[in-house]
Amino acid sequence: MPEMNIRLSNSCALLAYTLLVILPLWLALDRLIWVAGANPLDWYLSLGQNYVSQGVIQFTFIQALTSTLATLAIGLPIAWQLGRYKWPFQSLTKAILTMPFVMPSIVAAMGFLHIVGRAGLNIRVDDSTWFTTLIIAHAWFNMALVIRFCEPVISTLDPRLEEQMRLLPAGSSKTGRFRHLWAPLLAPSIAAAACMTFVFSFTSFALVRWITLGDNTLESVMAGIGSSAGIEGYMISRNEIVLGSSMIQFTILLLSLFLMSWLQQKRQSLLPQVSEEVVKQSNPKGWTVIGPALAFALSPLIAVFWASFRIRNTDSSGTHYTWETSGWEFAFSSSNSMTSAWDALYNSLGYATLTLIIALPLGWILAQTILDVEKEKPRFARFLDVLTMLPFAISSVMIGLGVMLGMIRIDAEFFYSFWPTPALAHVMITTPFVVRIMLPALRAIDPEYDECGRTLGISKWRRFFQIKLPLLRGSILVAVIFTLAMSLGEFGASWVVTRNSDWTTLPIMIDSLRSIPYNNSLTAPAACAVSSVLMGTTLVLFTWAEKFRPSRDGGMF
Amino acid sequence: MKIFTFLVGVLILNLTISGCLTDKIDDNEAKQPDEYEWVDDGELVIVTYDVYGLTDEMLENFENESGYEVSLLKLDDAGSVLDHLLQHKGQQVADIAIGLDNTYLQTAIDNNVLWEHNAILQNISESALLPYDGPLAAPFDQGYICLNYDSDIVDGVNYTVPESLWELTEEAWNGKVAIPSPETSSPGRAFMTATTDYFSTDSDNETEWTDWWSAMSLNDVIITTGWSEAYETRYTGGYGEWTDGYVGDAHIVVSYCHSPGVESWYNGNWTKSAALDIPKASFHQVEYAAALEGGNLDSASAFIEYLLSPEVNSKMPIENSMYSALEGYDLPEENGYLFHSVVPSEPAVVSSTTIANNMEEWLEMWNKAMVDA
Repeated sequence: MPEMNIRLSNSCALLAYTLLVILPLWLALDRLIWVAGANPLDWYLSLGQNYVSQGVIQFTFIQALTSTLATLAIGLPIAWQLGRYKWPFQSLTKAILTMPFVMPSIVAAMGFLHIVGRAGLNIRVDDSTWFTTLIIAHAWFNMALVIRFCEPVISTLDPRLEEQMRLLPAGSSKTGRFRHLWAPLLAPSIAAAACMTFVFSFTSFALVRWITLGDNTLESVMAGIGSSAGIEGYMISRNEIVLGSSMIQFTILLLSLFLMSWLQQKRQSLLPQVSEEVVKQSNPKGWTVIGPALAFALSPLIAVFWASFRIRNTDSSGTHYTWETSGWEFAFSSSNSMTSAWDALYNSLGYATLTLIIALPLGWILAQTILDVEKEKPRFARFLDVLTMLPFAISSVMIGLGVMLGMIRIDAEFFYSFWPTPALAHVMITTPFVVRIMLPALRAIDPEYDECGRTLGISKWRRFFQIKLPLLRGSILVAVIFTLAMSLGEFGASWVVTRNSDWTTLPIMIDSLRSIPYNNSLTAPAACAVSSVLMGTTLVLFTWAEKFRPSRDGGMF
Repeated sequence: MKIFTFLVGVLILNLTISGCLTDKIDDNEAKQPDEYEWVDDGELVIVTYDVYGLTDEMLENFENESGYEVSLLKLDDAGSVLDHLLQHKGQQVADIAIGLDNTYLQTAIDNNVLWEHNAILQNISESALLPYDGPLAAPFDQGYICLNYDSDIVDGVNYTVPESLWELTEEAWNGKVAIPSPETSSPGRAFMTATTDYFSTDSDNETEWTDWWSAMSLNDVIITTGWSEAYETRYTGGYGEWTDGYVGDAHIVVSYCHSPGVESWYNGNWTKSAALDIPKASFHQVEYAAALEGGNLDSASAFIEYLLSPEVNSKMPIENSMYSALEGYDLPEENGYLFHSVVPSEPAVVSSTTIANNMEEWLEMWNKAMVDA
C-alpha cells in the first residue's frame, strides 16, 4: 500500500512538472519554430544580419569574460583575508560581503546608476564608462560566489600541511607555497566560482538594460524583441533572433552545468581538514582589503536609499536638490496608471509564497523520485536528472516568453484574469534549484534510520516527521531561502510576462517607475524608494534565515 | 516501465494539445458590426504604452461618469501595442487600444484586430482625420516629428545649423545624432517614413533614402530603442541633462517639432532646444484609440467619446504634450509653449496605404542599410 502511494506521488510530481515546466517551453518553442522555420543555421545567422542583434554575441562573451576576471580579482583577496585571518564580527562581516548576491539585480542597477550618475560621481559619459560600470556591477553581484567557494577551503585547511610545506624545498618561498599548495588546492573552487560568475554575467538582463546603452546581451535582445515573437508571417527575423539567442545560451549554460558538476566532484576529493576552530591571527594590514570591500558591498545599497529622498528641482535658475519624502509618498500612493508600492509588495510576497508552496514539494518529490528509481532503472533516473536540470539551461527571459506564448495558446483571457499566472514563471525557475539542493540531502540519509524506525513499529508519518524532516532541516531551509529570494528578485521572466498592472511586483514596479519620463522629478526617487523596500524585504528574510543556520556558516546564502 | 509509458503518454498529450492550439489562430475575415459577439462586463481594459494623457484624474472621472471599471495593460511602446494585438488575435484580452499611430494603424486594420466603434464624435480637426478617416479608429492627439537641436552648442560657431539631412552624414556630426529605432519606436518609424519621401523628392536622383541611412550608420548615428533614451539620456538640449541616467552625447535628436515648446512650458518660458524645419524631414503623426475585436464595444466606445470630449481633449497639450485632435484648440501661449513650437512648413507626404503596404519592406531595407554599412 505505501508502495502504491509513493508511486502515485512520484507520478503526480512528474505530471505536474511536465505540465507546469516542460509544456509552456514546448509550446513556445513549437510556436517560434512554426513562425521562423526549423533551420538552426538561419537562427544563428539572423543574429548577425539584423541591426538589433548585430555584435551582440561578441558583446555578451566579452562582458561575461571581463566580468569574470574582475570578479576574481576583487573576490579572491577578500576570500583570502576572510579565510586566513581572524576578524571582529566575523559572521557579520561575511554576511555583508556576501549579501550582494541575494540582492535583486534591479536594485543593484539603480544603485550603480546613482553612483555614476549626474548627482553622484558624474562619470557616465560614454560607452567605455558604462561598460566599466557594468563590469564592476557584475563583480559586486558575484564576488560573493568567490568568497563562498574559496573561503571555506582556505579557512579549513589543516595548518600542519602548510607547516610541512615550509620545510620542503619547493615550499620555502611564498611563491613556491602558492604554486605547490594553494594553487592546486584552490583551483577547482576558483574555477567553479568563475564558471558561475560567467553564467550569471552571460545572462545578465536588468543591469544591462539600465546601465549600458545600445550594447545588449543575448538576454536583453531577446527581451527587447520578444514582444513581436510568435506571430505568423510577421517579423520573422525576430523569431529567428530569439531562437538563435536561446540556442547559444542553451549551449553555453549546458556546458557550464557539466563543467560545474565535474568541478564539484574535484572539490570533493579533499585534503585533511580541520574545523574552523583553528587559532587564527588577526591581520591589521588586511583592513586595506576588508575595509574597502565592505564599503564596496554597501555603497550601491546606501546610494539607493539616499537617492530615494533626494528630489530634483529644475527651473530657469538651474537645478538644485532638496531632501524630502515625496518620492516615498509617490511610490506608495495608489492610482489607476501606477500600482502602489503596497500592492507591488503584496504581489511580490504573494508570488514568492505561492512559488514556495509549489516549487518546494514539487522539487522535493522529484528529487525523491530520482532517488527511488535510481537502483532499478538507473538510465531512467539519469534521464529524469537531466530533465529536471533543463530549465537551468534556459534563461529567465526565455522562460517568460514560454509562459507568455503558452498562455496565449491555451486561453489568454483566462490567464490574464488569473492572478497566480506570473508565479508559474517563478516555479519554472526555482524548481530545478530545489531538486539540486534536495537530491544530495536525500541521498545522504542513511536508509537504515528508516528501516530501524520501521522495525520499531513507528508509523510512516511519524518516521517522516521525527526522522527524515530533522535530518533534512538544513537543506530545506536553504531551498526555502533560495526559492523566496529568487522569486522576490525575479526580473527577466516577470518583465516579459507581467503586463497586467494587477500583477506588478516590486522589481517590475522599479523598472516601470524608472521608465516614466524624467520630467516628473519624482520618478527616480520613487524607483529608489521601491528599491529600498525590496532591499529591506530581502534583508529581513535573510537575517531571519540566519537564525536557523549552524553558527559557523555565516553568510548570506 | 510504467513510468516510461506514462512519460510517452504525457509527450503525446503535449503534442495533441499543441496541435489543437495551432488551429485556434486563423480566421482572417473581418466581421461586420451586426456580427459582433460580446458581453458588457462592466469593465474597460485598456492596452497602451506610457501615454501620459491617461492621467489618474481623467480615468477616475471616466469611471465615475460611466460606471465602467478601468484597468490598464501597459506595454513598452507603440510597437509592443501592435505586437500584443497581433499576438492575441482571436482572443484579445483588452477592450481598447490607445496609442497606435498612423505608421502602425493600417497593419492593425489589415489584420482585422479592430472593431468599428459606435462613439459619436464631433469637431475633429481636418488634419487629424487626414491619415485615416473611418470607423475603426478615432484620432485623439497629433503632432509633428522632426529633428531638434541644442542651440547652445549648435550655435552657428561650433556647429552650423544643418539645412539638409546629408549634412548630418558629415564628419562634424559623427556620433552626435540620436534617432529612436524605427523597429521599436513610433517617432523613429515616423522619421524613417519621412526620409523615404525626403530622398525620393530631392534633387539628387542618384541616391536612395537607404543610402542616407547607411551613411548615417557609418557616421556612428546613435540608434536607441525608444524615444526616452534618445531624448532624455542622449540629447544635450533637453531636460534629460539633469537626470541620473544622463549621458549627453547627442546634439541633434529626433523628437517632436513642439518639444522645445514643452521644454519651455516646464522651464518657465526658457529652452535651449529648437526644432529644425527642414522641408520633407518632418512627419505628421496622429495617435489613435481603437476598439478591439471581441472586447467590450460599449465601454470602448464610451471611452473614445470621453477621450474626444472638449473637456478632456483640449487638455492634450498639457497632460499629454501633444496637440489636441479637435478643431480650434491650439497649444497654450503661456510660458512660450506655442512660441517655441514649430509647425513645419513642408512635412513629408506619405499616405497611410503606402505606409501599410511598404512598412515591413522598408524596415527590412532600413535594417540592411544599417547592417551592411
